[in-house]
Amino acid sequence: MPALLEVRDLTIEFRTKAGIVHAVEGASFNVERGEAMGLAGESGCGKTTTALALMRLLPYNGRIVRGSISFEGRDLVPVPEDSMRAIRWKEMSIVFQGAMNSLNPVQRVGRQIAEPIMLHEEAEPEASFKRAGDLLELVGISRNRLNDYPHEFSGGMRQRVMIAMALACNPKLVIADEPVTALDVMIQAQILDLLERLRRELHLAMILISHDLSVLADTCEQVTIMYAGKTMESGKTMDLFTDPKHPYTQGLVGAFPDIRGPRNMPEAIPGDVPSLISPPSGCVFHPRCKFAFDRCTKAEPALTELSVGRRAACFLYPQVTEVPPRPIVITEV
Amino acid sequence: MRAVDGVDLDIRRGEVFCLVGESGCGKTSTGKAILKLVEATDGDILLEMPEGEARAYEDVRQRPDDPEARKTLDGLRRKYSVTWKESLPWTVEQALKSAGAFLAAVFLAIVAPSLLLAAVVEPFGDPWSTIGLCVSIGLILGLIGSLPPTRLSRRTRVILTLLALGSIIVAPISALSLHRALVGDVSRFDVGAALATPWTQELAAMLVGFAFGAIAAGGSSSLLLDWRSRSEGMAGIHMRSIRRRLQLIFQDPYESLNPKQSVYEIVSEPLAVNRISTNPGETSALVREALTDVGLRPPEEFLFRFPHELSGGQRQRVSIAAALVLQPDFIVADEPVSMLDVSIRTEILQVMMELRTRRGITYLFITHDLSLAWVLADRIAVMYLGKIVEMGTTEQVIGHPMHPYTKALISVVPSPDPRHKVERIILKGERPDPSDIPPGCRFHPRCPFAFERCGWTAEEVADQLRSLKAGGMLATASGVDLSDAGNVRLSMGSGGPDALVRELNALVSERRETLLPLKGIAAVHATNGFVELSLHASSEPPLLEIEPGNSVACHLVSPPATVSESLTA
Repeated sequence: MPALLEVRDLTIEFRTKAGIVHAVEGASFNVERGEAMGLAGESGCGKTTTALALMRLLPYNGRIVRGSISFEGRDLVPVPEDSMRAIRWKEMSIVFQGAMNSLNPVQRVGRQIAEPIMLHEEAEPEASFKRAGDLLELVGISRNRLNDYPHEFSGGMRQRVMIAMALACNPKLVIADEPVTALDVMIQAQILDLLERLRRELHLAMILISHDLSVLADTCEQVTIMYAGKTMESGKTMDLFTDPKHPYTQGLVGAFPDIRGPRNMPEAIPGDVPSLISPPSGCVFHPRCKFAFDRCTKAEPALTELSVGRRAACFLYPQVTEVPPRPIVITEV
Repeated sequence: MRAVDGVDLDIRRGEVFCLVGESGCGKTSTGKAILKLVEATDGDILLEMPEGEARAYEDVRQRPDDPEARKTLDGLRRKYSVTWKESLPWTVEQALKSAGAFLAAVFLAIVAPSLLLAAVVEPFGDPWSTIGLCVSIGLILGLIGSLPPTRLSRRTRVILTLLALGSIIVAPISALSLHRALVGDVSRFDVGAALATPWTQELAAMLVGFAFGAIAAGGSSSLLLDWRSRSEGMAGIHMRSIRRRLQLIFQDPYESLNPKQSVYEIVSEPLAVNRISTNPGETSALVREALTDVGLRPPEEFLFRFPHELSGGQRQRVSIAAALVLQPDFIVADEPVSMLDVSIRTEILQVMMELRTRRGITYLFITHDLSLAWVLADRIAVMYLGKIVEMGTTEQVIGHPMHPYTKALISVVPSPDPRHKVERIILKGERPDPSDIPPGCRFHPRCPFAFERCGWTAEEVADQLRSLKAGGMLATASGVDLSDAGNVRLSMGSGGPDALVRELNALVSERRETLLPLKGIAAVHATNGFVELSLHASSEPPLLEIEPGNSVACHLVSPPATVSESLTA
């Protein structure tokens, strides 16, 4: 049986006035049924773009250049938009970033939850509203609040409503884009607890996108680390956090203070995130890497399996291969 | 709405003090009140108080009824508090002064214009004409004298110069008009003739004019000073000079920098506003130094960039530079890194900590991130709904938390090391409304360890009983409501009072460990057709020092003086 979601060599570009932005290049990962995969990296590393591409929600100037997204063995990239509608929300759904702003402020939340049910399952309004009430109760909000407007909810409750909305059509995979960012630490714990419970009860697969490694360390089985659109390392959470292979992962793990660890000042990663319009040659991380050597500036390391389930793209490991140079394609702008 | 309620904290020189808590708990308001960016309704912010006097302050504050203590307290507050407002009753002297100023004003409005005109048209011609001149000059000097110095150096110099100039003008005018009045001829200066001349009515009038001018100057200046210190408090006068030494770093570098100003303008503006430097060369040198200090090197490369040309980390460095350029002693950093990416975050923290060792800056670090407080702080205060619930050294507060809220808060902080898993204490509900603060301990509705005296209200108990009734329990009661006196009252069902009392007691003893509001029930009585519940008395736990340097506000940690009554039927 194939993995629920298999992403291979996914490459996404945006055309902008300043030039072509290479937002994601060669992203590859698997998500198994019922498993939570964490996608981590700093802002602008392509986490959200990857999620939007999976849902086929890229803005008009973005497109998938290469690669495949196979969902239950079926490649979604060539699927026409009409058939995509049947997959979106029913097979996989997304909890958008910023719960505060993702709800329509002038519509009652019950209607907003019921809407995808009516659209995707062609259910009667009455049945849809009943299900919306069930969903609200599932995420821990009384069904009496179906007729409330979003402004009557607190931030944490709005995030719960967003989660209820994502679950509206019983998807197999839920993508949660920064679900706890900007929430208080206690509300954050409540939401993460809720997601974990839902995952167990509904046997959901989940892609959790966060810039906060500690959140992922607590909740995911697998973690993929991205940097400047490229996948740097992936593997089991326990292995990846206790023995990070890639220098970027090492830096990132070291940059988080640990309340249960020693009182050490975290380490900084010097330098800034590179421009995605003209990324550095060779390994994208080499300008900030303290182990960089000659080869890093010239060739690009390929994401190579170091041990079972553990992949990294770094020349420090002798078995890592080079990405073959791609033919230059001249695109008309 | 009371956002911050009775917060007491001491920050020692050179320390990093962290204020942590959920959003809306009043940590930012506290920070702003300390800088007087919001006016505190009550309380003192004492600056640079020596330890001995700080202890005396604490001591006299305990005795508000003792007039002697009050006097000492007022003296200390006048000396160190930036929130001190002078509020003395009117005295005879003040009344006389204001009457004098009133007369001067009347005089100025009615008589002075004509006299002044006379003085301009025919200077020194008529002794009367000098009166207007002298009074006018006196009043102008009075006004200048009443402007208090913001910084001692420059303004004081200006005032002294003006006063000197004023006397230079007044003295020859007086001498000339005096001579003219006595001798009657300006072309010939004759002191002997002047002395020999008998005093006239004009001469007396002129002397009265001089005296009047002096009184006007003194009276109006002290009155204006008085009025200013009354209306804005002494702090309004002090604050401008203090402001330089207390600075703020804002949370969001994308919002706190003016997009239309270059880095140079942003960093040099505080220098101009505080009148530290008006010399372009000096300003530029100070700006460069501040930029170098925050790691924007070389500064020339950044001076004329605009915020949109900077990355997030660089913007935050610019806003730190703008605070630093005034050479502050104390910085309130309100979530300075929460909007920044992890890799940049650490660099900013390192810059801040390096400045602390190099310049001895004291920080009040406001953050919701306890793991950050863990690595940065020397001491921590945890706030909940406007009150400090626990305060102590970092090792005490995070290593061995005592307050249930602190315990819960620490247990839910995620750790980047998956080996460090702990049992999470997830509190129910979100932060309560600060406009409707629960009685007793304000944390009790969410506290997993709340017990009898934590402040259960009749409404909370009634709600709990109603939900039990809805769940099929309490079959012997027909309804739960509140009596007119505010007690919980259960109306009886078919079983009669005894059955209901028995069921209630059984329910309470069986379920009180899981349904905490039931712990609030002290006694159950049957009274004419109803069963009424009386609740335990409650009090708000004070912040008490449990061990040296560590204070906690919780009844569990500091048991109440009286023993709680046992449950009686």
